[in-house]
Amino acid sequence: MRLFQEFTKGFVKENPVFVMALGLCPTLAVTSSVENAIGMGMAATFVLAFSNSIISLIKNLIPSKIRIPAYIVVIASFVTIVDMVMNAYFPEIHKNLGLFIPLIVVNCIILGRAEAFASKNNLLRSVIDGLGMGLGFTLALIVIGSIREILGAGQLLGYNILPATYKPVLVAILAPGAFLVMGILMGLMNLKKNK
Amino acid sequence: MKYYLKLGFVLLIITVIASGILAFINSFTEPIIKFNEQKQKEEARREVHPEAASFDSIGTINNETITVYAARAENDSLIGYTFLAVKYGYSSDVKTMVGLRSDLSINKIKIISQAETPGLGANCTKPEFQEKFSNLKYDNLLVDKDGGNITSITGATITTRTITNSIKEAFDNLDPVLKNTKTEEVTE
Amino acid sequence: MEFIGKIFALAIAAIFVQNFVLMRFLGLCPYIGVSKKLDSALGMGMAVIFVMTMASTFTWLIQNFFLVPWKLEFLQTIAFILTIASLVQLVEMIIQKTAPSLYKALGVFLPLITTNCAVLGVAILNINDQLNFIEAIFNGFFAGIGFTLVLLLMAGIRERLEKAEIPACMKGTPIAMIVAGCMALAFLGFSGLKI
Repeated sequence: MRLFQEFTKGFVKENPVFVMALGLCPTLAVTSSVENAIGMGMAATFVLAFSNSIISLIKNLIPSKIRIPAYIVVIASFVTIVDMVMNAYFPEIHKNLGLFIPLIVVNCIILGRAEAFASKNNLLRSVIDGLGMGLGFTLALIVIGSIREILGAGQLLGYNILPATYKPVLVAILAPGAFLVMGILMGLMNLKKNK
Repeated sequence: MKYYLKLGFVLLIITVIASGILAFINSFTEPIIKFNEQKQKEEARREVHPEAASFDSIGTINNETITVYAARAENDSLIGYTFLAVKYGYSSDVKTMVGLRSDLSINKIKIISQAETPGLGANCTKPEFQEKFSNLKYDNLLVDKDGGNITSITGATITTRTITNSIKEAFDNLDPVLKNTKTEEVTE
Repeated sequence: MEFIGKIFALAIAAIFVQNFVLMRFLGLCPYIGVSKKLDSALGMGMAVIFVMTMASTFTWLIQNFFLVPWKLEFLQTIAFILTIASLVQLVEMIIQKTAPSLYKALGVFLPLITTNCAVLGVAILNINDQLNFIEAIFNGFFAGIGFTLVLLLMAGIRERLEKAEIPACMKGTPIAMIVAGCMALAFLGFSGLKI
Protein backbone atom coordinates (compact mmCIF):
# COMPACT_ATOMS: atom_id res chain seq x y z
CA MET A 1 0.00 0.00 0.00
CA ARG A 2 2.83 2.40 0.88
CA LEU A 3 4.58 1.49 -2.34
CA PHE A 4 1.43 2.22 -4.29
CA GLN A 5 1.29 5.68 -2.76
CA GLU A 6 4.94 6.17 -3.65
CA PHE A 7 3.99 5.36 -7.24
CA THR A 8 0.95 7.61 -7.55
CA LYS A 9 2.19 10.69 -5.67
CA GLY A 10 3.81 12.05 -8.83
CA PHE A 11 0.54 11.98 -10.79
CA VAL A 12 -1.29 14.81 -9.05
CA LYS A 13 -0.22 15.59 -5.49
CA GLU A 14 3.49 16.11 -6.22
CA ASN A 15 3.24 16.46 -9.99
CA PRO A 16 6.70 17.61 -11.08
CA VAL A 17 5.39 20.04 -13.68
CA PHE A 18 2.20 21.59 -12.32
CA VAL A 19 2.95 21.53 -8.60
CA MET A 20 6.73 21.77 -8.40
CA ALA A 21 7.26 23.77 -11.66
CA LEU A 22 10.29 21.64 -12.58
CA GLY A 23 11.46 20.68 -16.05
CA LEU A 24 9.71 23.59 -17.73
CA CYS A 25 11.93 23.74 -20.82
CA PRO A 26 10.99 20.39 -22.39
CA THR A 27 7.41 20.78 -21.12
CA LEU A 28 6.88 23.87 -23.20
CA ALA A 29 9.16 23.03 -26.11
CA VAL A 30 7.90 19.61 -27.18
CA THR A 31 4.17 19.90 -26.47
CA SER A 32 3.10 21.30 -29.83
CA SER A 33 1.67 17.83 -30.52
CA VAL A 34 0.62 14.87 -28.37
CA GLU A 35 2.92 12.47 -30.24
CA ASN A 36 6.01 14.48 -29.30
CA ALA A 37 4.73 14.83 -25.73
CA ILE A 38 4.45 11.04 -25.36
CA GLY A 39 7.91 10.50 -26.87
CA MET A 40 9.52 12.99 -24.52
CA GLY A 41 7.63 11.63 -21.50
CA MET A 42 8.69 8.07 -22.24
CA ALA A 43 12.35 9.05 -22.74
CA ALA A 44 12.39 10.96 -19.45
CA THR A 45 10.62 8.12 -17.59
CA PHE A 46 13.21 5.63 -18.82
CA VAL A 47 16.09 7.84 -17.69
CA LEU A 48 14.44 8.57 -14.34
CA ALA A 49 13.75 4.92 -13.49
CA PHE A 50 17.22 3.72 -14.44
CA SER A 51 19.24 6.60 -13.00
CA ASN A 52 17.24 6.34 -9.77
CA SER A 53 17.93 2.62 -9.47
CA ILE A 54 21.66 2.87 -10.22
CA ILE A 55 22.10 5.79 -7.86
CA SER A 56 20.29 4.00 -5.07
CA LEU A 57 22.58 0.99 -5.61
CA ILE A 58 25.87 2.93 -5.56
CA LYS A 59 24.87 5.60 -3.04
CA ASN A 60 27.12 4.15 -0.32
CA LEU A 61 30.16 3.85 -2.58
CA ILE A 62 30.30 7.50 -3.54
CA PRO A 63 31.93 10.09 -1.25
CA SER A 64 29.38 12.82 -0.60
CA LYS A 65 31.70 15.54 -1.91
CA ILE A 66 31.56 14.29 -5.49
CA ARG A 67 28.03 12.88 -5.44
CA ILE A 68 26.57 15.56 -7.76
CA PRO A 69 29.14 15.05 -10.58
CA ALA A 70 28.81 11.28 -10.13
CA TYR A 71 25.00 11.51 -10.45
CA ILE A 72 25.39 13.70 -13.52
CA VAL A 73 27.62 11.09 -15.19
CA VAL A 74 25.08 8.33 -14.45
CA ILE A 75 22.19 10.44 -15.76
CA ALA A 76 24.14 11.56 -18.85
CA SER A 77 24.95 7.93 -19.68
CA PHE A 78 21.28 6.91 -19.67
CA VAL A 79 20.37 9.99 -21.65
CA THR A 80 22.94 9.05 -24.27
CA ILE A 81 21.53 5.50 -24.40
CA VAL A 82 18.01 6.87 -24.96
CA ASP A 83 19.39 9.24 -27.59
CA MET A 84 21.11 6.45 -29.54
CA VAL A 85 18.24 3.96 -29.27
CA MET A 86 15.61 6.50 -30.31
CA ASN A 87 17.75 7.61 -33.23
CA ALA A 88 18.06 4.00 -34.38
CA TYR A 89 14.48 2.80 -33.90
CA PHE A 90 12.27 5.91 -33.83
CA PRO A 91 14.11 8.34 -36.15
CA GLU A 92 10.95 10.39 -36.78
CA ILE A 93 10.30 11.25 -33.12
CA HIS A 94 14.04 11.66 -32.54
CA LYS A 95 14.12 14.33 -35.24
CA ASN A 96 11.12 16.18 -33.79
CA LEU A 97 12.49 16.24 -30.24
CA GLY A 98 15.97 17.09 -31.52
CA LEU A 99 18.00 19.12 -29.06
CA PHE A 100 15.71 18.30 -26.16
CA ILE A 101 16.82 14.68 -25.88
CA PRO A 102 20.42 15.46 -24.82
CA LEU A 103 18.97 18.24 -22.67
CA ILE A 104 17.17 15.67 -20.49
CA VAL A 105 20.51 15.64 -18.62
CA VAL A 106 19.84 19.07 -17.18
CA ASN A 107 16.15 18.44 -16.54
CA CYS A 108 15.85 19.45 -12.88
CA ILE A 109 13.30 16.67 -12.22
CA ILE A 110 15.89 13.94 -12.75
CA LEU A 111 18.77 15.36 -10.71
CA GLY A 112 16.18 16.48 -8.17
CA ARG A 113 14.81 12.94 -7.66
CA ALA A 114 18.33 11.50 -7.54
CA GLU A 115 19.37 13.91 -4.80
CA ALA A 116 16.10 14.05 -2.85
CA PHE A 117 14.95 10.44 -3.12
CA ALA A 118 17.24 7.84 -4.66
CA SER A 119 20.25 8.78 -2.54
CA LYS A 120 18.24 8.07 0.62
CA ASN A 121 16.06 5.09 -0.30
CA ASN A 122 16.43 1.44 -1.30
CA LEU A 123 16.36 0.08 -4.83
CA LEU A 124 12.68 -0.92 -5.06
CA ARG A 125 11.34 2.34 -3.69
CA SER A 126 13.70 4.36 -5.90
CA VAL A 127 12.56 2.57 -9.06
CA ILE A 128 8.90 3.02 -8.12
CA ASP A 129 9.51 6.70 -7.36
CA GLY A 130 11.29 7.16 -10.71
CA LEU A 131 8.51 5.45 -12.65
CA GLY A 132 5.79 7.39 -10.82
CA MET A 133 7.46 10.77 -11.28
CA GLY A 134 8.22 9.96 -14.91
CA LEU A 135 4.62 9.04 -15.61
CA GLY A 136 3.45 12.18 -13.79
CA PHE A 137 5.71 14.19 -16.07
CA THR A 138 4.36 12.33 -19.12
CA LEU A 139 0.79 12.94 -17.97
CA ALA A 140 1.43 16.69 -17.67
CA LEU A 141 3.03 16.75 -21.13
CA ILE A 142 0.06 14.91 -22.65
CA VAL A 143 -2.45 17.30 -21.03
CA ILE A 144 -0.64 20.38 -22.36
CA GLY A 145 0.04 18.72 -25.71
CA SER A 146 -3.64 17.79 -26.19
CA ILE A 147 -4.88 21.28 -25.41
CA ARG A 148 -2.36 22.86 -27.78
CA GLU A 149 -2.92 20.38 -30.60
CA ILE A 150 -6.72 20.61 -30.40
CA LEU A 151 -6.75 24.42 -30.24
CA GLY A 152 -3.94 25.01 -32.67
CA ALA A 153 -4.54 22.36 -35.33
CA GLY A 154 -8.01 20.94 -34.58
CA GLN A 155 -6.37 17.53 -34.31
CA LEU A 156 -5.49 14.94 -31.70
CA LEU A 157 -2.60 12.57 -32.41
CA GLY A 158 -2.76 13.72 -36.02
CA TYR A 159 -6.46 12.88 -36.52
CA ASN A 160 -8.98 15.62 -37.23
CA ILE A 161 -11.41 15.66 -34.33
CA LEU A 162 -13.08 19.02 -34.82
CA PRO A 163 -15.45 19.87 -37.69
CA ALA A 164 -13.79 21.28 -40.79
CA THR A 165 -15.42 24.65 -40.13
CA TYR A 166 -13.19 25.08 -37.06
CA LYS A 167 -10.51 27.62 -37.76
CA PRO A 168 -7.38 26.65 -35.81
CA VAL A 169 -5.96 29.16 -33.35
CA LEU A 170 -2.44 28.96 -34.78
CA VAL A 171 -0.85 30.76 -31.88
CA ALA A 172 -1.51 27.76 -29.62
CA ILE A 173 1.09 25.62 -31.38
CA LEU A 174 3.56 28.49 -31.71
CA ALA A 175 5.90 29.54 -28.90
CA PRO A 176 3.62 32.08 -27.16
CA GLY A 177 0.78 29.54 -26.94
CA ALA A 178 2.99 27.27 -24.84
CA PHE A 179 3.46 29.95 -22.20
CA LEU A 180 -0.18 31.05 -22.21
CA VAL A 181 -1.62 27.51 -21.92
CA MET A 182 0.88 26.66 -19.17
CA GLY A 183 0.08 29.85 -17.21
CA ILE A 184 -3.67 29.28 -17.36
CA LEU A 185 -3.34 25.60 -16.38
CA MET A 186 -1.15 26.48 -13.39
CA GLY A 187 -3.66 29.14 -12.34
CA LEU A 188 -6.50 26.59 -12.51
CA MET A 189 -4.47 24.14 -10.41
CA ASN A 190 -3.97 26.84 -7.76
CA LEU A 191 -7.66 27.71 -7.82
CA LYS A 192 -8.59 24.10 -7.18
CA LYS A 193 -5.98 23.70 -4.43
CA ASN A 194 -7.06 26.80 -2.52
CA LYS A 195 -10.73 25.86 -2.40
CA MET B 1 45.73 15.51 -0.74
CA LYS B 2 45.32 11.75 -0.66
CA TYR B 3 41.61 12.26 -0.04
CA TYR B 4 41.23 14.40 -3.16
CA LEU B 5 43.13 11.84 -5.23
CA LYS B 6 40.65 9.24 -4.04
CA LEU B 7 37.73 11.47 -5.04
CA GLY B 8 39.18 11.96 -8.49
CA PHE B 9 39.81 8.23 -8.79
CA VAL B 10 36.20 7.30 -7.91
CA LEU B 11 34.86 9.77 -10.44
CA LEU B 12 37.27 8.49 -13.06
CA ILE B 13 36.14 4.90 -12.53
CA ILE B 14 32.47 5.87 -12.88
CA THR B 15 33.19 7.76 -16.09
CA VAL B 16 35.24 4.91 -17.56
CA ILE B 17 32.52 2.34 -16.82
CA ALA B 18 29.87 4.65 -18.30
CA SER B 19 31.94 5.27 -21.45
CA GLY B 20 32.51 1.52 -21.88
CA ILE B 21 28.79 0.76 -21.71
CA LEU B 22 28.02 3.57 -24.13
CA ALA B 23 30.67 2.42 -26.59
CA PHE B 24 29.15 -1.07 -26.47
CA ILE B 25 25.61 0.18 -27.20
CA ASN B 26 26.89 2.61 -29.80
CA SER B 27 28.45 -0.25 -31.76
CA PHE B 28 24.94 -1.68 -32.14
CA THR B 29 22.97 1.47 -32.89
CA GLU B 30 25.43 3.31 -35.12
CA PRO B 31 25.07 1.03 -38.19
CA ILE B 32 21.27 1.13 -37.83
CA ILE B 33 21.28 4.93 -37.70
CA LYS B 34 23.51 5.16 -40.78
CA PHE B 35 21.36 2.62 -42.61
CA ASN B 36 18.16 4.55 -41.76
CA GLU B 37 19.63 7.79 -43.07
CA GLN B 38 20.60 6.13 -46.33
CA LYS B 39 17.22 4.45 -46.64
CA GLN B 40 15.37 7.70 -46.03
CA LYS B 41 17.25 9.46 -48.81
CA GLU B 42 16.84 6.49 -51.11
CA GLU B 43 13.09 6.48 -50.45
CA ALA B 44 12.82 10.20 -51.14
CA ARG B 45 14.64 9.69 -54.44
CA ARG B 46 12.32 6.85 -55.35
CA GLU B 47 9.34 9.02 -54.52
CA VAL B 48 10.29 11.69 -57.06
CA HIS B 49 11.22 9.05 -59.67
CA PRO B 50 8.92 6.07 -58.98
CA GLU B 51 9.71 4.32 -62.25
CA ALA B 52 13.50 4.34 -61.77
CA ALA B 53 15.28 1.11 -60.83
CA SER B 54 18.59 2.49 -59.62
CA PHE B 55 20.31 5.76 -58.82
CA ASP B 56 23.98 6.58 -59.13
CA SER B 57 25.82 9.70 -58.09
CA ILE B 58 27.17 11.67 -61.06
CA GLY B 59 28.79 14.66 -59.38
CA THR B 60 28.36 17.54 -56.99
CA ILE B 61 27.36 21.19 -57.51
CA ASN B 62 27.14 24.40 -55.41
CA ASN B 63 30.51 23.90 -53.65
CA GLU B 64 29.92 20.18 -53.21
CA THR B 65 26.84 20.76 -51.05
CA ILE B 66 24.45 19.13 -53.50
CA THR B 67 25.00 15.68 -54.98
CA VAL B 68 23.26 14.99 -58.27
CA TYR B 69 22.07 11.46 -58.99
CA ALA B 70 21.15 9.93 -62.32
CA ALA B 71 17.96 7.87 -62.27
CA ARG B 72 18.10 4.81 -64.50
CA ALA B 73 15.46 2.32 -65.63
CA GLU B 74 15.91 -1.47 -65.48
CA ASN B 75 17.78 -1.59 -68.80
CA ASP B 76 20.19 1.09 -67.51
CA SER B 77 18.79 3.81 -69.80
CA LEU B 78 18.74 7.31 -68.32
CA ILE B 79 15.29 8.55 -67.29
CA GLY B 80 16.29 11.63 -65.34
CA TYR B 81 18.14 13.17 -62.42
CA THR B 82 17.50 13.85 -58.75
CA PHE B 83 19.08 16.26 -56.32
CA LEU B 84 18.35 17.75 -52.91
CA ALA B 85 17.82 21.53 -53.00
CA VAL B 86 18.32 23.37 -49.69
CA LYS B 87 17.60 26.99 -48.81
CA TYR B 88 16.78 28.96 -45.65
CA GLY B 89 13.09 29.89 -45.70
CA TYR B 90 11.10 31.83 -43.13
CA SER B 91 12.39 30.13 -40.02
CA SER B 92 14.27 27.01 -41.09
CA ASP B 93 16.22 25.23 -43.78
CA VAL B 94 13.76 23.83 -46.31
CA LYS B 95 15.08 20.68 -48.00
CA THR B 96 13.41 19.66 -51.22
CA MET B 97 14.10 16.47 -53.16
CA VAL B 98 13.71 17.28 -56.85
CA GLY B 99 13.21 14.74 -59.62
CA LEU B 100 13.97 15.88 -63.18
CA ARG B 101 13.16 14.04 -66.38
CA SER B 102 15.92 13.74 -68.95
CA ASP B 103 14.51 16.75 -70.85
CA LEU B 104 15.04 18.76 -67.59
CA SER B 105 11.35 19.25 -66.82
CA ILE B 106 10.34 18.52 -63.24
CA ASN B 107 8.85 15.11 -62.68
CA LYS B 108 7.98 15.52 -58.99
CA ILE B 109 9.25 17.31 -55.91
CA LYS B 110 9.05 16.32 -52.26
CA ILE B 111 9.75 18.50 -49.24
CA ILE B 112 11.70 16.21 -46.92
CA SER B 113 12.51 18.50 -44.05
CA GLN B 114 11.32 21.90 -42.87
CA ALA B 115 10.34 23.71 -39.66
CA GLU B 116 8.36 26.61 -41.05
CA THR B 117 5.42 28.21 -39.24
CA PRO B 118 2.83 25.49 -38.51
CA GLY B 119 -0.40 26.13 -40.40
CA LEU B 120 1.24 28.56 -42.85
CA GLY B 121 4.65 27.78 -44.32
CA ALA B 122 4.51 24.20 -43.03
CA ASN B 123 1.65 23.56 -45.47
CA CYS B 124 4.34 23.19 -48.13
CA THR B 125 4.49 19.48 -47.26
CA LYS B 126 0.91 19.00 -48.53
CA PRO B 127 0.69 17.04 -51.79
CA GLU B 128 -1.56 19.70 -53.40
CA PHE B 129 1.27 22.18 -53.16
CA GLN B 130 4.03 19.86 -54.30
CA GLU B 131 2.01 18.77 -57.34
CA LYS B 132 2.09 22.33 -58.67
CA PHE B 133 5.75 21.88 -59.51
CA SER B 134 5.27 18.84 -61.73
CA ASN B 135 5.97 19.41 -65.45
CA LEU B 136 7.49 22.86 -64.89
CA LYS B 137 10.69 23.78 -66.68
CA TYR B 138 13.41 26.21 -65.63
CA ASP B 139 11.71 29.21 -67.25
CA ASN B 140 8.38 28.58 -65.48
CA LEU B 141 9.91 28.48 -62.01
CA LEU B 142 8.34 31.73 -60.84
CA VAL B 143 5.93 32.43 -57.96
CA ASP B 144 2.60 34.15 -58.78
CA LYS B 145 3.60 37.22 -56.74
CA ASP B 146 6.54 37.63 -59.14
CA GLY B 147 4.44 37.13 -62.22
CA GLY B 148 4.76 33.35 -62.54
CA ASN B 149 2.33 30.45 -62.33
CA ILE B 150 3.19 28.80 -59.02
CA THR B 151 0.35 29.68 -56.64
CA SER B 152 1.92 30.55 -53.31
CA ILE B 153 0.73 29.02 -50.05
CA THR B 154 -1.74 31.34 -48.30
CA GLY B 155 0.21 33.63 -45.98
CA ALA B 156 3.55 32.04 -46.80
CA THR B 157 4.97 33.66 -49.89
CA ILE B 158 8.47 33.48 -48.42
CA THR B 159 8.38 29.70 -48.05
CA THR B 160 7.00 29.27 -51.57
CA ARG B 161 9.62 31.59 -52.99
CA THR B 162 12.38 29.78 -51.06
CA ILE B 163 11.45 26.40 -52.51
CA THR B 164 11.18 27.80 -56.02
CA ASN B 165 14.50 29.63 -55.78
CA SER B 166 16.33 26.71 -54.19
CA ILE B 167 15.41 24.56 -57.20
CA LYS B 168 16.29 27.36 -59.58
CA GLU B 169 19.73 27.92 -58.01
CA ALA B 170 20.57 24.25 -58.36
CA PHE B 171 19.39 24.39 -61.99
CA ASP B 172 21.78 27.26 -62.71
CA ASN B 173 24.79 25.10 -61.91
CA LEU B 174 23.56 21.81 -63.26
CA ASP B 175 25.06 22.03 -66.76
CA PRO B 176 28.67 20.85 -66.18
CA VAL B 177 27.56 17.77 -64.24
CA LEU B 178 24.99 16.79 -66.85
CA LYS B 179 27.47 17.22 -69.71
CA ASN B 180 29.73 14.68 -68.03
CA THR B 181 27.03 12.04 -67.94
CA LYS B 182 26.03 12.69 -71.52
CA THR B 183 29.59 11.97 -72.77
CA GLU B 184 29.71 8.86 -70.61
CA GLU B 185 26.68 7.56 -72.40
CA VAL B 186 28.23 8.14 -75.81
CA THR B 187 31.27 6.05 -74.92
CA GLU B 188 28.97 3.31 -73.67
CA MET C 1 33.82 43.12 -43.72
CA GLU C 2 32.12 39.85 -44.49
CA PHE C 3 33.25 38.62 -41.07
CA ILE C 4 31.63 41.54 -39.26
CA GLY C 5 28.45 40.97 -41.24
CA LYS C 6 28.39 37.32 -40.23
CA ILE C 7 28.91 38.18 -36.56
CA PHE C 8 26.16 40.81 -36.74
CA ALA C 9 23.79 38.27 -38.25
CA LEU C 10 24.63 35.84 -35.44
CA ALA C 11 23.90 38.55 -32.87
CA ILE C 12 20.49 39.43 -34.30
CA ALA C 13 19.58 35.76 -34.60
CA ALA C 14 20.67 34.79 -31.07
CA ILE C 15 19.22 37.85 -29.33
CA PHE C 16 15.96 38.45 -31.20
CA VAL C 17 14.93 36.04 -33.96
CA GLN C 18 15.79 32.81 -32.16
CA ASN C 19 15.81 34.13 -28.61
CA PHE C 20 16.93 31.29 -26.36
CA VAL C 21 14.23 31.74 -23.77
CA LEU C 22 11.17 32.85 -25.70
CA MET C 23 11.63 31.05 -29.02
CA ARG C 24 13.78 28.03 -28.20
CA PHE C 25 12.47 27.41 -24.65
CA LEU C 26 15.93 27.11 -23.11
CA GLY C 27 16.78 28.34 -19.62
CA LEU C 28 13.19 28.67 -18.44
CA CYS C 29 13.83 27.60 -14.85
CA PRO C 30 16.08 30.58 -14.00
CA TYR C 31 13.89 32.79 -16.22
CA ILE C 32 10.87 32.11 -14.01
CA GLY C 33 12.83 31.50 -10.79
CA VAL C 34 15.24 34.44 -10.63
CA SER C 35 13.11 37.16 -12.22
CA LYS C 36 11.38 38.44 -9.09
CA LYS C 37 13.91 41.23 -8.41
CA LEU C 38 15.72 43.40 -10.91
CA ASP C 39 19.16 43.36 -9.22
CA SER C 40 19.29 39.60 -8.73
CA ALA C 41 18.17 39.19 -12.36
CA LEU C 42 21.09 41.38 -13.43
CA GLY C 43 23.53 39.26 -11.38
CA MET C 44 22.18 36.04 -12.86
CA GLY C 45 22.31 37.50 -16.37
CA MET C 46 25.96 38.53 -16.03
CA ALA C 47 26.92 35.11 -14.66
CA VAL C 48 25.11 33.37 -17.53
CA ILE C 49 26.76 35.53 -20.22
CA PHE C 50 30.15 34.71 -18.71
CA VAL C 51 29.58 30.97 -18.38
CA MET C 52 27.93 30.64 -21.80
CA THR C 53 30.87 32.30 -23.55
CA MET C 54 33.38 30.13 -21.68
CA ALA C 55 31.32 26.97 -22.22
CA SER C 56 31.01 27.64 -25.96
CA THR C 57 34.78 28.07 -26.19
CA PHE C 58 35.75 24.93 -24.29
CA THR C 59 33.08 22.58 -25.61
CA TRP C 60 33.96 23.55 -29.19
CA LEU C 61 37.63 22.75 -28.53
CA ILE C 62 36.75 19.44 -26.88
CA GLN C 63 34.43 18.43 -29.72
CA ASN C 64 36.89 19.24 -32.51
CA PHE C 65 40.22 18.28 -30.94
CA PHE C 66 39.17 15.35 -28.79
CA LEU C 67 35.81 13.78 -29.64
CA VAL C 68 35.92 13.99 -33.44
CA PRO C 69 39.55 12.79 -34.02
CA TRP C 70 39.05 9.87 -31.61
CA LYS C 71 35.60 9.02 -33.02
CA LEU C 72 33.99 9.50 -29.61
CA GLU C 73 31.07 11.65 -30.70
CA PHE C 74 28.67 9.44 -28.78
CA LEU C 75 30.24 10.72 -25.55
CA GLN C 76 29.26 14.30 -26.44
CA THR C 77 26.55 14.69 -23.80
CA ILE C 78 28.72 13.38 -20.94
CA ALA C 79 31.79 15.32 -22.03
CA PHE C 80 29.89 18.60 -22.41
CA ILE C 81 28.00 18.44 -19.14
CA LEU C 82 31.17 17.55 -17.22
CA THR C 83 33.02 20.41 -18.91
CA ILE C 84 30.29 22.84 -17.96
CA ALA C 85 30.09 21.57 -14.38
CA SER C 86 33.85 21.83 -13.84
CA LEU C 87 33.95 25.19 -15.59
CA VAL C 88 31.32 26.59 -13.26
CA GLN C 89 33.20 25.22 -10.26
CA LEU C 90 36.47 26.71 -11.50
CA VAL C 91 34.93 30.10 -12.22
CA GLU C 92 33.41 30.10 -8.75
CA MET C 93 36.78 29.39 -7.11
CA ILE C 94 38.66 31.97 -9.19
CA ILE C 95 36.14 34.72 -8.58
CA GLN C 96 36.05 33.91 -4.87
CA LYS C 97 39.85 34.32 -4.61
CA THR C 98 40.39 37.29 -6.91
CA ALA C 99 37.25 39.39 -6.76
CA PRO C 100 35.36 38.93 -3.50
CA SER C 101 32.90 41.72 -4.26
CA LEU C 102 31.98 40.18 -7.59
CA TYR C 103 31.69 36.83 -5.84
CA LYS C 104 29.23 38.35 -3.40
CA ALA C 105 27.08 39.51 -6.29
CA LEU C 106 27.29 36.40 -8.50
CA GLY C 107 28.21 33.63 -6.08
CA VAL C 108 24.75 32.32 -5.28
CA PHE C 109 23.83 32.05 -8.97
CA LEU C 110 26.86 30.12 -10.18
CA PRO C 111 25.92 26.62 -8.94
CA LEU C 112 22.45 27.06 -10.46
CA ILE C 113 23.97 27.59 -13.89
CA THR C 114 25.22 24.01 -14.27
CA THR C 115 21.63 22.84 -14.63
CA ASN C 116 20.63 25.78 -16.84
CA CYS C 117 19.77 24.01 -20.06
CA ALA C 118 20.57 27.13 -22.09
CA VAL C 119 24.30 26.58 -21.43
CA LEU C 120 24.36 22.96 -22.57
CA GLY C 121 21.91 23.95 -25.30
CA VAL C 122 24.18 26.58 -26.83
CA ALA C 123 27.15 24.19 -26.67
CA ILE C 124 25.28 21.51 -28.64
CA LEU C 125 23.73 24.01 -31.06
CA ASN C 126 27.19 25.41 -31.91
CA ILE C 127 28.20 21.92 -33.02
CA ASN C 128 24.91 21.10 -34.79
CA ASP C 129 24.98 24.36 -36.75
CA GLN C 130 28.62 23.69 -37.72
CA LEU C 131 29.86 27.07 -36.53
CA ASN C 132 33.61 27.72 -36.61
CA PHE C 133 35.59 28.52 -33.47
CA ILE C 134 35.19 32.30 -33.53
CA GLU C 135 31.51 32.10 -34.45
CA ALA C 136 30.89 29.62 -31.63
CA ILE C 137 32.41 31.97 -29.04
CA PHE C 138 30.35 34.90 -30.30
CA ASN C 139 27.21 32.77 -30.49
CA GLY C 140 27.63 31.80 -26.83
CA PHE C 141 28.16 35.43 -25.86
CA PHE C 142 25.14 36.70 -27.81
CA ALA C 143 22.90 33.89 -26.57
CA GLY C 144 23.81 35.01 -23.04
CA ILE C 145 22.94 38.62 -23.93
CA GLY C 146 19.59 37.47 -25.33
CA PHE C 147 18.89 35.56 -22.12
CA THR C 148 19.84 38.55 -19.96
CA LEU C 149 17.71 40.93 -22.03
CA VAL C 150 14.47 38.98 -21.58
CA LEU C 151 15.34 38.19 -17.95
CA LEU C 152 15.70 41.91 -17.18
CA LEU C 153 12.50 42.79 -19.06
CA MET C 154 10.68 40.09 -17.12
CA ALA C 155 12.07 41.23 -13.75
CA GLY C 156 11.04 44.81 -14.49
CA ILE C 157 7.50 43.73 -15.29
CA ARG C 158 7.24 41.43 -12.29
CA GLU C 159 8.39 44.13 -9.86
CA ARG C 160 5.42 46.19 -10.98
CA LEU C 161 3.05 43.22 -11.01
CA GLU C 162 3.67 42.95 -7.27
CA LYS C 163 1.48 46.00 -6.79
CA ALA C 164 -1.11 45.06 -9.41
CA GLU C 165 -4.45 43.53 -8.52
CA ILE C 166 -4.54 40.05 -9.97
CA PRO C 167 -6.64 37.01 -8.95
CA ALA C 168 -5.02 35.15 -6.04
CA CYS C 169 -4.71 31.90 -8.00
CA MET C 170 -2.71 33.59 -10.75
CA LYS C 171 -0.10 35.16 -8.43
CA GLY C 172 3.52 34.07 -8.85
CA THR C 173 4.45 31.56 -11.53
CA PRO C 174 1.10 31.49 -13.45
CA ILE C 175 1.06 35.22 -14.16
CA ALA C 176 4.79 35.08 -14.99
CA MET C 177 3.93 32.49 -17.65
CA ILE C 178 1.22 34.70 -19.12
CA VAL C 179 3.64 37.64 -19.21
CA ALA C 180 6.22 35.42 -20.90
CA GLY C 181 3.56 34.42 -23.44
CA CYS C 182 2.88 38.08 -24.26
CA MET C 183 6.62 38.72 -24.62
CA ALA C 184 6.94 35.69 -26.89
CA LEU C 185 4.10 37.12 -29.03
CA ALA C 186 6.10 40.31 -29.40
CA PHE C 187 9.27 38.37 -30.25
CA LEU C 188 7.35 36.38 -32.84
CA GLY C 189 7.40 39.59 -34.85
CA PHE C 190 11.14 39.16 -35.34
CA SER C 191 10.86 35.76 -36.99
CA GLY C 192 11.43 35.76 -40.70
CA LEU C 193 13.85 38.64 -40.29
CA LYS C 194 16.76 38.09 -42.66
CA ILE C 195 20.16 39.70 -42.80
